Amino acid sequence: MNRSQYFSFRTLSRYGILIAFAVLCVTLSFLSPYFLTAGNLSNIALQISVNGILAIGMTFVILAAGIDLSVGSVLGMAGIVAASMVAGDTEHSPLVAVGAGVATGAVLGLVNGSIIAWCRVPAFVVTLGMLSAARGFTQIYNDGMPVPGLSDAFVFLGSGRLLEIPVPVWIFAALLLAAWLVLEYTRYGRYVYAVGGNEKSARTSGVPTRAVIASVYVICGACAGLASIIHTARSTTALVDAGAGYELDAIAAVVIGGTSLTGGVGGVFGSLIGVLIIGVINNGLDLLGVESYYQQVIKGAVIVLAVLIDVASRKET
Amino acid sequence: MLKKLIVTTALLLAVVAGTQAQENKKYKIGAAVYGVKNEFVQLWVKALKDHPAVKSGLVNLTVFDGQYKHITQANQFDSMITQKFDGAIYIPIDSNAAAAVVDKAVAAGLPVVGSNGPTNSDKLVSYVGSDDVLGGELAAEAVIKAMGGKGNIVVLEGPVGQTGAIQRSEGIDKVLARHPEIKVIERKTANWSRAEAMSLMQNWLTAHPNQIHGVIGENDEMALGAVAAMKQAGIDVTKIPVAGIDGVSDAIKAVSKGEMILSIRQDAKTQAQGALDVLLRKLIGQDYKPLSEVWAVYPEMPWGEGTATLYSVPWTLVTKENAAEFLKR
Amino acid sequence: MNESIYPPENQKSPYLLEAAGILKKFSGVTVLRDGALKLRAGTVHALCGGNGAGKSTFLSILMGLLPRDGGSILVGGRAVDFSSPAQALLGGIAIITQELSPIRGMTVAENIYLGREPMRMGFVIDYAALFAQAGELLRRLGFDINPRSNMCDLSLAKVQLVEIAKAISFNSSILIMDEPTSAIGEHETGVLFNAIATLKKEGVGIIYVSHRLSELFQVADDYTVFRDGAFIESGAMADIDRERLIELIVGRKVGRSLRPGRSGNFPVILKATDYSQSQHFQDVSLSLSAGEILGIYGLMGAGRSEFLNCLYGLTSPDRGELEIFGRPARIKKPKDAMKRGLSLLTEDRKDSGIIGCRPIRENISLSVLKRISRWGFIRAGEVDGERGVVNAMFKRFDIKAATPEMAVQRLSGGNQQKVVLSRCVTTKPKILLCDEPTRGIDEGTKQQIYGFLSEFVQDEGCGVIVVSSELDEILQVSDRILVFRRGRIAGEIKASEATHAMLTHMAS
Repeated sequence: MNRSQYFSFRTLSRYGILIAFAVLCVTLSFLSPYFLTAGNLSNIALQISVNGILAIGMTFVILAAGIDLSVGSVLGMAGIVAASMVAGDTEHSPLVAVGAGVATGAVLGLVNGSIIAWCRVPAFVVTLGMLSAARGFTQIYNDGMPVPGLSDAFVFLGSGRLLEIPVPVWIFAALLLAAWLVLEYTRYGRYVYAVGGNEKSARTSGVPTRAVIASVYVICGACAGLASIIHTARSTTALVDAGAGYELDAIAAVVIGGTSLTGGVGGVFGSLIGVLIIGVINNGLDLLGVESYYQQVIKGAVIVLAVLIDVASRKET
Repeated sequence: MLKKLIVTTALLLAVVAGTQAQENKKYKIGAAVYGVKNEFVQLWVKALKDHPAVKSGLVNLTVFDGQYKHITQANQFDSMITQKFDGAIYIPIDSNAAAAVVDKAVAAGLPVVGSNGPTNSDKLVSYVGSDDVLGGELAAEAVIKAMGGKGNIVVLEGPVGQTGAIQRSEGIDKVLARHPEIKVIERKTANWSRAEAMSLMQNWLTAHPNQIHGVIGENDEMALGAVAAMKQAGIDVTKIPVAGIDGVSDAIKAVSKGEMILSIRQDAKTQAQGALDVLLRKLIGQDYKPLSEVWAVYPEMPWGEGTATLYSVPWTLVTKENAAEFLKR
Repeated sequence: MNESIYPPENQKSPYLLEAAGILKKFSGVTVLRDGALKLRAGTVHALCGGNGAGKSTFLSILMGLLPRDGGSILVGGRAVDFSSPAQALLGGIAIITQELSPIRGMTVAENIYLGREPMRMGFVIDYAALFAQAGELLRRLGFDINPRSNMCDLSLAKVQLVEIAKAISFNSSILIMDEPTSAIGEHETGVLFNAIATLKKEGVGIIYVSHRLSELFQVADDYTVFRDGAFIESGAMADIDRERLIELIVGRKVGRSLRPGRSGNFPVILKATDYSQSQHFQDVSLSLSAGEILGIYGLMGAGRSEFLNCLYGLTSPDRGELEIFGRPARIKKPKDAMKRGLSLLTEDRKDSGIIGCRPIRENISLSVLKRISRWGFIRAGEVDGERGVVNAMFKRFDIKAATPEMAVQRLSGGNQQKVVLSRCVTTKPKILLCDEPTRGIDEGTKQQIYGFLSEFVQDEGCGVIVVSSELDEILQVSDRILVFRRGRIAGEIKASEATHAMLTHMAS
């Protein structure tokens, strides 16, 4: 095995998706004079933060060779619960709302994770069921009514700025850093990769595989809860259909970013690139005034192209 | 002498250039609609694009599809602000959440005119739309009258929590309060959808055989769904009064055939073009004279100075008698 | 379909295949510099060589998977240059690979004739003919398999036989068999060898690759040895013995002494009583003494692996008592076993041993992360961290890899096994459980592993249990041998007193 051959293959596969992203940005900056403006870049950063947080949680799950289809519904439910803490007359501190939202997500994630890890029901089926159940529960919780009139302190979490940077971007960046540290440098992170890479081998090596599997769903749920805080704060109203369909964008971001659906390979920085690619496409198509039906087609095509570039760069010569 | 000539020419040129510049000024306007997948919004968008200002190039129009998601609409407004649009027209998916969006836009110097669906904000330049409470009232009145003032009715409602649905329900309730002999035996949301309404109606027909004497659909699509369900069950729909709101083409056809007794037509053209005129008035100033022909249609809704905060677009009752005329439009 | 192909008299040359001077470079590095082989019709020709000898590259070139950089290949006396396996197939060369990839949902016949089904009217599959042809083929080869069975219902051994039948169905004059017995047991091996005899009579030439030297001596007529990318020697199997063959493969004289005799009383370090798991094994009782290597021999399906996995806590027994170092042990999961000083090398490293997509470093350190972490963060350094553990293992086991950052799946089988062994040993176990420790591994590495096992039991209070289905291996490596038959212990014998015949007899 030639050493230089090995390294170049590895660096190419890591950078393939970055190259795709760079090409996308350069193209857009030529097509629209507004693309590279500070205001627009700030918009992009803000707009990707919800999907970004979802993608971080989803990265853990997919690394462990699982999948979570329920994050959109969990976001909706956590949002309603959190909002009811700071709406109208019952005005608690926004931290209570954050706690309630994250806790709701974590509990739902624990339900998912427990059934998947200990009852051995496939993740696809369990999380699909949770997708329905959580959405249904959201509609029951407040008789299907949205929760308006949220406190200003809470809304600040979605619409405010700290040092000129929107609060959601700070939250996303902090979470990204924390997730990276955990996956890269801790024992737990190593266990996640091991379980995803080969569950049987991990078990033989003494890794508590079932606990690890359950835990990644808790993390994913908690992230959905945190994302719901930002989403609800930005909307200034908790909407009953919040988050519908968000699971697809989250999964797409993770997969585009190079984390393999079969588990054991990838990481959160790849998911960041994935989230950026999707966000930039959405933003670019808006800037160019493209009709929404064409937007869907173009988005699909660009995503496939991005993955093709990545796959091609992984091919061994 | 030469100096005078030069100065005069320069001044003349400046004036000409000034007026030229004025004439060549294009206004970048964005229309943010909640979703283009339904017929009414499609009519509204088409009418907006047919506005003389758009056709002449005075207005550079971009239509933003909110895809039924509030956050998408919020993002689109951010985009408009970044791209320094001159003005926006807004049909929001959620009236409450829309308030924050409007506040942010106005604070950033982007004036917003609301249309078709209300926004709970006083920062709008104006609202050009129809009174949904009145719409609900008119629909209820027609059905109850056709029933002779007594009997059982069912009501198909719009999405829970949506302002349009809430207001139309309010109107219906006002009328119901005046008619104690009318019993509402079923009342549920079909989310503006024809398919959902059809399923719901089928179940209701099974649960209450021969006991439904009238149907109020808060929009046409749902009313049409109820009609389809009744046809499938073999019921003679000309005997059961059904009313809907919006005035979409399928409903007007149904009215002309006697399958529905009434569709309350929302004038998409007036709402769209009217809104644009009001916005242009705000941008250009008092010299602006409205370019659309809609202002000639409703004497109850005068242009005035073009600065009113509410332009209530009248409903048109489409019944069997005048249905044919609307089919042509 | 039964006529001989290329009977010797009709050929221009006496050889079905003649390869000479085959050269292959990858990015400037020469991996094969003198590949050569002469295959006679109607013979089995063993191709031998250790890891890195260039066998796989040579075979890939023959098969059309790789282009060659030099040399010549003659098939039936005519020069050929295949650029794809399809072309090689047309040219008369078929291969049976180590990797099994059956289509589980289809029947045996459909798998065999996939893409070449007999058709009726050009677009409808003639199933009657399909099953008839498949049945005929299987009968001719002596495989007791119903062509209508579904692949998913077959045992691993039978699946391998179907793959073999498929390759043979192409009626090529040259067959390449690469580790054909790796997944099949004694009985099926016998069936295969009978089929090979039939094929030989029909004039087919077979290039046979296997790490099980005893098999080669059973079935091969000629041999060719590669070492370090070049042809070393070839000749008739009858003219060479096992020791000389190993010497040629490894390149030096290899000491192959049996285990020294043991006398005296040694403390019992592990004692299992009445271990049972329905369907797999019943009433298994054994004890392991300090300093002992206990071998477990048996045919496939005898329940040996299931027993080891159960001891280790991967599965739970219906009943059974366990004592480790004299104290009762309750083992519910691998972590419990590891805490009591056990470590398990599983039967199939790809399935439950390595984590292929992760680097070597992560595989080795996986079992001891707690020890080398502080506050949950892994210490990376030499002294008390990951690098220290990994470097120590690289040295101890002589792992050959460019860097510990390589993904384990890119290593050769022998090195992969060393990585798994390393991981087992990091927990400083006293009792090592090894299930087929040298399966699919080259001779040189095999000997290294045997050496390691001997060293391991020299430490105070250590013992090893080895499960193997290779008679030579079990005889070389064990002090004492237990024979499993159909889930029970059929007999126990000292290695020094055992012979092939005795063991085979006890196991069947």
